[in-house]
Amino acid sequence: MSTFHGLEMAKQALFTQQMGLYTTGHNLSNVNTEGFSRQRVNFEAMSPFPSASRNRPSIPGQLGTGVMAGTVQRIRDAFLDSQYRTQNSKTAYWDTRATSLNRMENLLNEIDETGLSKTMNDFMTALDALSTRPDNTGGREVAIQKGSIVAESFNHIANSLEQIQLDLKKQIGSLNAETGEYDGKIGDVNSLLRQINDLNKQIGEVEPLGYLPNDLYDRRDKLIDELSGIVNIKVDYETSGKGSLAIADGIAKITLADVKGNPITDSGGAPIALLKATDRSLADPEKELGKLTVSYNDVGAVTSIEFVKQGESSQKIEDMMAVDGSLKALIKSNGYVVGENGVDKVVGDFPETLSKLNKLAQNFALAFNKIHKEAKDANGENGMAFFTNGSKYDPANPNALETNITAFNISINQELSEHPDKLAISADGSAGDGQKALELAKMFSKALTAEDIGGAAGDPEPFGKGISVTGYFQQIISKMAVDTQEANRRLVNDGVLQQKIQNDRLSVSAVSIDEEMTNLLKFQHAYNASARSMTAMDEILDKIINSMGLVGR
Amino acid sequence: MRITQGMISNNMLTNLTKSYSNLNKYMDQLNTGNKISKPSDNPFIAIKGMDYRTQLAQVEQYKSNTTEVDLWMDNSDSALDGVSSGLKRMQELAIQASNGTYSESERKNVLEEAKQIKADLISIANRKVNDRYIFNGTDTNHALITEDANGVVTVNSGQQPVKIHVADNIELQANVNGEKVFGGDFFKNIDGFIKALGDNNQADIEKGIDTLQANIDTVINQRADLGARMNRMDLIKNRLDSQEITAKDVMSKNEKVDYEKAITDLLTQETMHRAALAAGSRVIQPSLVDFLR
Repeated sequence: MSTFHGLEMAKQALFTQQMGLYTTGHNLSNVNTEGFSRQRVNFEAMSPFPSASRNRPSIPGQLGTGVMAGTVQRIRDAFLDSQYRTQNSKTAYWDTRATSLNRMENLLNEIDETGLSKTMNDFMTALDALSTRPDNTGGREVAIQKGSIVAESFNHIANSLEQIQLDLKKQIGSLNAETGEYDGKIGDVNSLLRQINDLNKQIGEVEPLGYLPNDLYDRRDKLIDELSGIVNIKVDYETSGKGSLAIADGIAKITLADVKGNPITDSGGAPIALLKATDRSLADPEKELGKLTVSYNDVGAVTSIEFVKQGESSQKIEDMMAVDGSLKALIKSNGYVVGENGVDKVVGDFPETLSKLNKLAQNFALAFNKIHKEAKDANGENGMAFFTNGSKYDPANPNALETNITAFNISINQELSEHPDKLAISADGSAGDGQKALELAKMFSKALTAEDIGGAAGDPEPFGKGISVTGYFQQIISKMAVDTQEANRRLVNDGVLQQKIQNDRLSVSAVSIDEEMTNLLKFQHAYNASARSMTAMDEILDKIINSMGLVGR
Repeated sequence: MRITQGMISNNMLTNLTKSYSNLNKYMDQLNTGNKISKPSDNPFIAIKGMDYRTQLAQVEQYKSNTTEVDLWMDNSDSALDGVSSGLKRMQELAIQASNGTYSESERKNVLEEAKQIKADLISIANRKVNDRYIFNGTDTNHALITEDANGVVTVNSGQQPVKIHVADNIELQANVNGEKVFGGDFFKNIDGFIKALGDNNQADIEKGIDTLQANIDTVINQRADLGARMNRMDLIKNRLDSQEITAKDVMSKNEKVDYEKAITDLLTQETMHRAALAAGSRVIQPSLVDFLR
């Protein structure tokens, strides 16, 4: 038992309590830092004296030797992290999908008085009005104008949808990395993987020394959280080396995962490992680290997403819809290619809506033209095509006007807008007969058959059995509205769940000012008390050194 | 569960955002008067709304079409009125002239008047309203009757009815078929009477009384037919009026906001919002720091 035992013990206690005070200060400083987990100094009693050995001093019992700081550990629950990430992928999926569907909805907002159905109604009533005064030139002009507004509405909606689709493609990203042009979510994934790899490397260097790099862990977890919003992932950890503590997190390994947390596999059944533990020792991670790449077909639909790594064969994601996250939402809205019975088919919100609008425009134009061409114009001649694909009228080949009419190119025949008298609305050619104008007006709500669009009897109906032009447009709107409604609702529901998990996580990890203040007091008191014990020791030593042995002198 | 300041402020913020979004919804409803502002708010209401708007546009168009029908029918009716009074005058002339005491010169005078009446009848048959010949069916650019230099009258035949769309699947004939009034023996009877006057043939003049009566009967029949159609038109108009009201009513029930409900909702929400703000401001302020020396 040393003379200075008490002094040493008090000094050790001062240091340790000071460490506690510093850590409390660190926590308080980071009370508003996103992703920060509160840290604790694990106090440990030092090994008692004497230890069991042959030459131990013969004193009664073991004497405590004070306190030491064992480790500084962050308080965090890895299970909640994995829950949070799975939920984050879902929420991000619905968030992104709701955003793109809302953009579509703004275009197809048929509630207000400006939508396509309003222009169609106007055109229809103009034709009906014209049928009561067929010889009125003003009425003809009006009808032609209203028809041209319908065509322009189609063009506007189709072009705007295409514009948004292009924007979605930019958000998905990739391809033009050289020119610095759009590298969206795919680029984000690759950049996050690189940053996580960097942190893995640093952590791998620190941990074997017996430290816990808490703040590096926090930064890594934050990046992994961010990654989980883009693609659903599964994170496993591997120890970084022999000297690492048992409570060290280790090196993070990341694989793509489906909703249930099972790894996503390529066609060969091998899991797609975005980041491996060994990646941290790559000489040139910028080049050698694996990257996600995306490829598109000529209409901008996503054909495949592949994981490419130098020196390894690339892995293609079999089912793009299995990986939740904002990337999936963008792909689903933008459109992607699926093989169906060996035939490649483009599916997705925007391409499907566009193809339906094209179908609507085409069949509406054909059905309208068929009646118009049977009718007689003001000069007693048969009408020509009213709606065209925008090409110039060529008397040698009048049918060319009607091939491949789409929502993009539908327009009214130039001849008609220049010569309103060529609007054909009469059945027999007499000036007061507007029966065909009436037939045209009725066509909007008539269930179209194959013959109505110039096909053969018995062919399938253009919009399906018993469905009219207005009915089909309503179908388009209602499909979109229901999809958007679902996305909005799921966003709210999943958002609530995510908030709940986030709260659970915060409950464990977040800094509480009250708690830290309490700790501050606790450590301060302990510090003061240790200092007091040191003073007592000092007095004892003073007694020994300066007053002992004088025998009352 | 361990609760921290950060969690409380996060939750408060989330709840306030939710509360704001509800406030926004009710404000929107009150400002626009509509229950929904986007199709996805309620797809069912939105699609029904599209249907109702189409229906309403259609009914409004039918109503405006009825004015056109009125124009045709009123003009045709007044024209037929002119025809029958002309014919009645001519029949009076026939009765006067058939009197044996009438001298040849007196019958000449009557002849002049009868000729004028004939010319008047022709002009009625060729009457134009809004630059349209009203008795020549759909061929409104051409006159019903042509008269050559010798006063020989040709009446066009085979007129198509002018039909106007006034209700779903109802196309009402708006015109009077000119051939049915002025065709057949109509001018033959008149010309016979005029010839008899010119010939001073008392027996034929007397016969004219009956033949002219046949003409009058034809006109009366056509007027009766027209009158029947006018009555039908009135019924259709009444129906259109009530259809329009119903359509508007259904539409407003479907998509217009119930103001009492929206205002109550807004007030309730406002109270909740105030409570949330008050509670939040109290909870967030103090921490242990405030109470330590």
